[in-house]
Amino acid sequence: MSAASAREATPKLRFTAVAKEFVAPRTGKRTLAVTDVGLSIEAGEFVCVVGPSGCGKSTIMNLVAGLDAPTSGTITMDGRPIAGPGADRGVMFQDYALYPWLTVSQNIGFGLENGTPGRGLSRAERDARVRHFVELVRLKGAEDKFPHQLSGGMCQRVALARLLANGPDVLLMDEPLGALDAQTRLILQVELLRIWGETAPRAERKTAIFITHDIEEAVFLADRVVVMGTGPGRIRAILPIDLPRPREEGTRADPRFAALTKQVWELIRDDAYQAIG
Amino acid sequence: MANSLAPSPSIGLRSVPLTIWRAIALPLLLLVAWQLWAMGLPADTRAPSPAKVLAGFVRLTLAGDLPLALIQSIGRVVAGFLIALVLGLSLGLAMGRIRWVRDGLEPIVESFRPIAPMAILPIAILFLGTGTPAALSIVAYAAFFPLLLNVMHGVSRVDPKLVLAARTMGVPPLRTFTHVILPAAMPSVLLGSRLAMGSAWTAIIAAELAVGAKAGGGTSGGIGQMMFVFYAYSIDLNGIVVCMIVVGVVALLIDRAFRGAERILVRGREAT
Ligand SMILES: Nc1ncnc2c1ncn2[C@@H]1O[C@H](COP(=O)(O)OP(=O)(O)OP(=O)(O)O)[C@@H](O)[C@H]1O
Ligand SMILES: [Mg+2]
Repeated sequence: MSAASAREATPKLRFTAVAKEFVAPRTGKRTLAVTDVGLSIEAGEFVCVVGPSGCGKSTIMNLVAGLDAPTSGTITMDGRPIAGPGADRGVMFQDYALYPWLTVSQNIGFGLENGTPGRGLSRAERDARVRHFVELVRLKGAEDKFPHQLSGGMCQRVALARLLANGPDVLLMDEPLGALDAQTRLILQVELLRIWGETAPRAERKTAIFITHDIEEAVFLADRVVVMGTGPGRIRAILPIDLPRPREEGTRADPRFAALTKQVWELIRDDAYQAIG
Repeated sequence: MANSLAPSPSIGLRSVPLTIWRAIALPLLLLVAWQLWAMGLPADTRAPSPAKVLAGFVRLTLAGDLPLALIQSIGRVVAGFLIALVLGLSLGLAMGRIRWVRDGLEPIVESFRPIAPMAILPIAILFLGTGTPAALSIVAYAAFFPLLLNVMHGVSRVDPKLVLAARTMGVPPLRTFTHVILPAAMPSVLLGSRLAMGSAWTAIIAAELAVGAKAGGGTSGGIGQMMFVFYAYSIDLNGIVVCMIVVGVVALLIDRAFRGAERILVRGREAT
């Protein structure tokens, strides 16, 4: 970490005493979704967030995306407070947010066609990029289907492809692989690491925040796992994952992998049992 | 049906005529009964019969009166509808997206909405006379509210996630409007258009009838006025029935045309 010490002064993302409280418009009822969140994420870091349902994972993602503002505390990116959404932070929503009137290809190319990510790209370059990501998420043959004609797992892959096609610097993903079958999931985990920049030098990697319910997935992907708890939502623990990269099938056989997975499970077990009563 | 793998029994080739038969059996029976009843009446009766109505239809069509009246009425409906479309779409979009516009306009809209198009006819005639402008204003008024309310409803119900997703992709506001909000609200816009066209057609006939009465069978034109002339001057019951049937058929065709447009334009969603 000594090489990174020069940059440590300004991490890619920094949360300082962040809290978010929701106030219901009519009743005025208050829900403290998250509180006391402090966290620094270096550029090029892959951070997984795990925690029981309702602990505020999506809330935190929306704050980083700039779709919501914290009630107190600050979130900065490259040292500057986050003022609103921007294409530098790509978001994959938990419920996909696909456009029902557009085909698979058109959904994947939506940001390239209409937003900042497509700036400076020719028609042919955009089309090639869409085709590339259609193939990456294994949707070849379904390009011209509409979302209502797809399975849940296919919709999820469209949303993932749309995020990646936009090529954002920061990837914000809310359970991006949760609806997939086990095999596709393993394949896309490895692909995702490749796109993030696992084999590239650290300075060229993207920064990723990846929310998941799957502890093994979190350990497999992450540089650090953030474990959250409920009542109100807060960070329980932050676990560095010092497994070697690139990670591959063999990683899961590493005894440290099993130990880390067990450690994360122990951290969230009590909350998880509480959540189901 | 040739390429469907497992045709269900109710839409197989043989039973298609059967469903058509079911649809026309009762009207056909009524027509026959009507004709039989009319044939039992004295020869000099004014009562209409299917045969006389058909003859009247042929006569009016060949003379060119009916096509001309039809073109006049449809022209007014289309023009009035377009006025309502421009107003209803722009106001509906503004009211559906901008809180203060809605708060400011809703009371006025809600107080005018229950006033039937016919109820503004006296004012329309006083200010605009008995010609096309008066008819147009009635049609536009009738078509305006279904459009406005449906557009407003559709636009305000657009899934906020779709708009947020566009913002995270750096899509500028105007483009978000044209490429997210408008298409998302398209089903409501089309539904509003179909309902608006329906009430516009209803209104034009009534307006022409009334304007025709005021003009004393003058030259205001249109199907409605034609009916008034048959009623007040030539007492031609068969002609009135011809007009009624034509009005009904046109209404049906308009509805079908809009449903067809909905199926084409509302891609990626089950048509309603
Ligand atoms: N718009 C909102 N208004 C009111 N309360 C909200 C709102 N959004 C989230 N909450 C509340 O904040 C808390 C955290 O919600 P959040 O969606 O962030 O949880 P999560 O960790 O993403 O859960 P899951 O794993 O089920 O997706 C919950 O108690 C939720 O009810
Ligand atoms: Mg969530």
